[in-house]
Amino acid sequence: MLSTLELSPQTLDAEAPVRIAVKNLDFYYGEHKALKNINLDFRDRHVTALIGPSGCGKSTLLRIFNRIYSLYPEQKATGEILLDGRNIISNNVDVNELRSRIGMVFQKPTPFPMSIYDNVAFGIRLYEKPPKSELDDRVEGALRRAALWDEVKDKLKSSGMGLSGGQQQRLCIARTIAQKPEVILFDEPTSALDPISTGKIEDLLEQLKSDFTIVIVTHNMQQAARISQYTAFMYLGEVIEFDATNTIFMNPHKKQTQDYVTGRFG
Amino acid sequence: MSAVTDQFAVPSAPVRKTPMGTFDLVFRNASLLAALFVLVLLAGIMVSMVVGGWPAFREFGLGFITSSVWDTQNEQYGAWPAIVGTLSTALIALVVGVPLSLGIAVFLTQLAPPWFKQPVSTAIELLAAVPSIIYGMWGLFVFAPLFAAYVQIPLSSLVEGMPIVGTILYSRSPSGLGILSAGIILAFMIIPFIASITRDMLDQIPSVLRESAYGIGATTWEVVRHVLVPQAGVSIIGAIMLGLGRALGETMAVTFVVGNANRLSASVMDPGSTIASRIANEFNEALGLQLNALIALGCILFFVTFVVLVIARLLVARVKRY
Amino acid sequence: MTMATPAKTMTAPHVEWGRVRSSRRTADRMMKIIATSFTLIAIVVLFWILGMLIVKGLGGLSASTFTQITPGPGTEGGGLANAIVGSIVLTFLGIAVATPIGVLAGTYLAEYGKASKLADLIRFINDILLSAPSILIGLFVYVILVEPFRGYSGWAGGVALGIIAIPVIVRTTEDMLRLVPGSLREAGAALGAPPSVVITSVTWRAAKSGMVTGVLLALARIAGETAPLIFTALNNNFWFSPNLIGGVSNLPVTIYQFASAPYENWQQLAWAGSLIITVSILVLSIIARRIVRGGK
Repeated sequence: MLSTLELSPQTLDAEAPVRIAVKNLDFYYGEHKALKNINLDFRDRHVTALIGPSGCGKSTLLRIFNRIYSLYPEQKATGEILLDGRNIISNNVDVNELRSRIGMVFQKPTPFPMSIYDNVAFGIRLYEKPPKSELDDRVEGALRRAALWDEVKDKLKSSGMGLSGGQQQRLCIARTIAQKPEVILFDEPTSALDPISTGKIEDLLEQLKSDFTIVIVTHNMQQAARISQYTAFMYLGEVIEFDATNTIFMNPHKKQTQDYVTGRFG
Repeated sequence: MSAVTDQFAVPSAPVRKTPMGTFDLVFRNASLLAALFVLVLLAGIMVSMVVGGWPAFREFGLGFITSSVWDTQNEQYGAWPAIVGTLSTALIALVVGVPLSLGIAVFLTQLAPPWFKQPVSTAIELLAAVPSIIYGMWGLFVFAPLFAAYVQIPLSSLVEGMPIVGTILYSRSPSGLGILSAGIILAFMIIPFIASITRDMLDQIPSVLRESAYGIGATTWEVVRHVLVPQAGVSIIGAIMLGLGRALGETMAVTFVVGNANRLSASVMDPGSTIASRIANEFNEALGLQLNALIALGCILFFVTFVVLVIARLLVARVKRY
Repeated sequence: MTMATPAKTMTAPHVEWGRVRSSRRTADRMMKIIATSFTLIAIVVLFWILGMLIVKGLGGLSASTFTQITPGPGTEGGGLANAIVGSIVLTFLGIAVATPIGVLAGTYLAEYGKASKLADLIRFINDILLSAPSILIGLFVYVILVEPFRGYSGWAGGVALGIIAIPVIVRTTEDMLRLVPGSLREAGAALGAPPSVVITSVTWRAAKSGMVTGVLLALARIAGETAPLIFTALNNNFWFSPNLIGGVSNLPVTIYQFASAPYENWQQLAWAGSLIITVSILVLSIIARRIVRGGK
């Protein structure tokens, strides 16, 4: 089992600064405590994967970083999440701006009901008012980085809904990186896609980490092993083990982690 | 084995099957007939309007639509003032009612806390349950006096002598009754329909789309304006058309507040009449050609609302409830 | 990608915070205030109407409202007994006409017609009838029942109300039958029951509460209808004859005629009638809603 894992070729940089620091984080759905005392550090320009069986709280944790949970009044978080030293779950953070700094790509592709061009430009226009030519360049740049430009350059004015699932997901990635966020969250971005589209997205992630701090939730262990430098294994709302991806997959310290990564449960 | 089956099945089968089979056939055909009856109803309404109104159409030709004279003494009938009244009250109802309805739908789907959503939704839907005639009572006895005192009189002295607005908004007799009042009452009557369909449409949008719009840092207003409303798209226009259909044919409330004047006025503050209010007012005393003229008015109303409702239903496709 | 190797010391954000333009915040806040106040306006209007009915209607309400008949012009006192009974008779007549037709038609759409072209057409036309102006239905019944028989009658009024109720019942019956899982029908058919028996003894039973809701909603819809009655059942200040020939007194038209009349007792009765009719309809609507929500 372990031998089939294709581990990330990159060596991690243990001295990279911490971009997001999670401290004593608890999370509640109403009365139900879904996350218990989470402590994690996410390093700058590294890919950190959150893995664990479904219901372990990995998506819940991801959705705290950009405060998407704030849309639902019954959900609340306590503790601290420091983005560059600033606690982003305190009330005096502008959640809209936070979300432009911490972008998110969702499980299902979600093109907005507008043209391909506008899908990418929408996020830029919210926060900046670049002149037309600069906006064009930004949109093109984002689409190129998302490896979508060649497929859509002749139909920028047509609707984003007309693209295939994999293209739509890359459009969503383009839309996110166009805003130049500091962190990008991926919530099982390939679970709705075919293997070829999945491969393209994984290649993309590989390239994106040179510019962005990436956190990815995945239920696919091979994927986590391939693309991440750090991995956190979560179970029942707690972080069981957090370490370099190689360590988690080759030499985990906890038995639960070993059972999970070797496919014995979950 | 086969002997047993034969003994049980064969002799009893014809005995059982015959009465069942007959009932089955009768039931099936009865339900088909009942369903076809729905078509017959609409066709019946259409035919009766055309036949009943035919003498008036034959007598006046196209002039029935374009003429403004409604003279029972000389048997001269023209529908123009009623048509204009119907269209202008419905238009005012949309201008007032659509923003209110969309605001309510946005409040219910995006802003209201969960415990608050249900009671408010019910309250909005109950606005649709209040009978038309009660809106008429409210309009005549509560709304009109207030409207006269606080809107018509001050506004008239303000706009008097001004070009255009001085004509459109000036009230010669500030009674609170008139085209604008009728339009405003109608607005409240169509709000529950437009608001609840729009609410359902917005609720049907997958939450992941909404989350991803928030996810790139858009505010609630931007999410609604650029993502949710375009996503709900034409079905919102369909909901508005449905409201328009209601407004065009609404009778009792309008009859109470429109003022029932048979002449055409350039001011929305002046009394007027709609097709429906004209029919409600005159039908029971009408004889001969006047009766035909009133049914001919109904015929016009039928075709206008029919077209509006067909467009509405095509756009909304199939919405929950009505 | 031609990106430089990442700078290891970068901890400061790329861009300073505070990039949300104040115009965006203002627009968002304005929208929230406007949407909330629009909702408030609609709720205020609802309670204003209810309050008006209670304040003005309770004053006119007394025992004689329910025992005496509607007064003639210039007559003192009086009540609404004949109008209330007339309204109940007409409404139930309407429901009696509409229920069998509506339920059968809804059953056809859900169980037999399904996705056929005919069923789609009937559904479409039914939806149009659902929103068709009720005054036109009054005119239609006048042309087919009042004019040929040379007289107003309760029967014509009941039929007019029935025609308004039919599309409501068709729609809810179909919707409710569609909610019944197909496995239930298959289980019935597997016992050898023909479709009609499966429908009447399995599907209808499973959808019963929803179908009752449809009838209640139709009841609420027609109980306050005025326009179609003006040309059909008419109205008067007497007890109607038991064969329902001639005018049949009823609440909505009584309210219409009394509300703006110059007699004070008439006006009071109009308010009392308005209160009675609105409360009945709202109670019916709320019960219907409860059933729907309880059934889910």
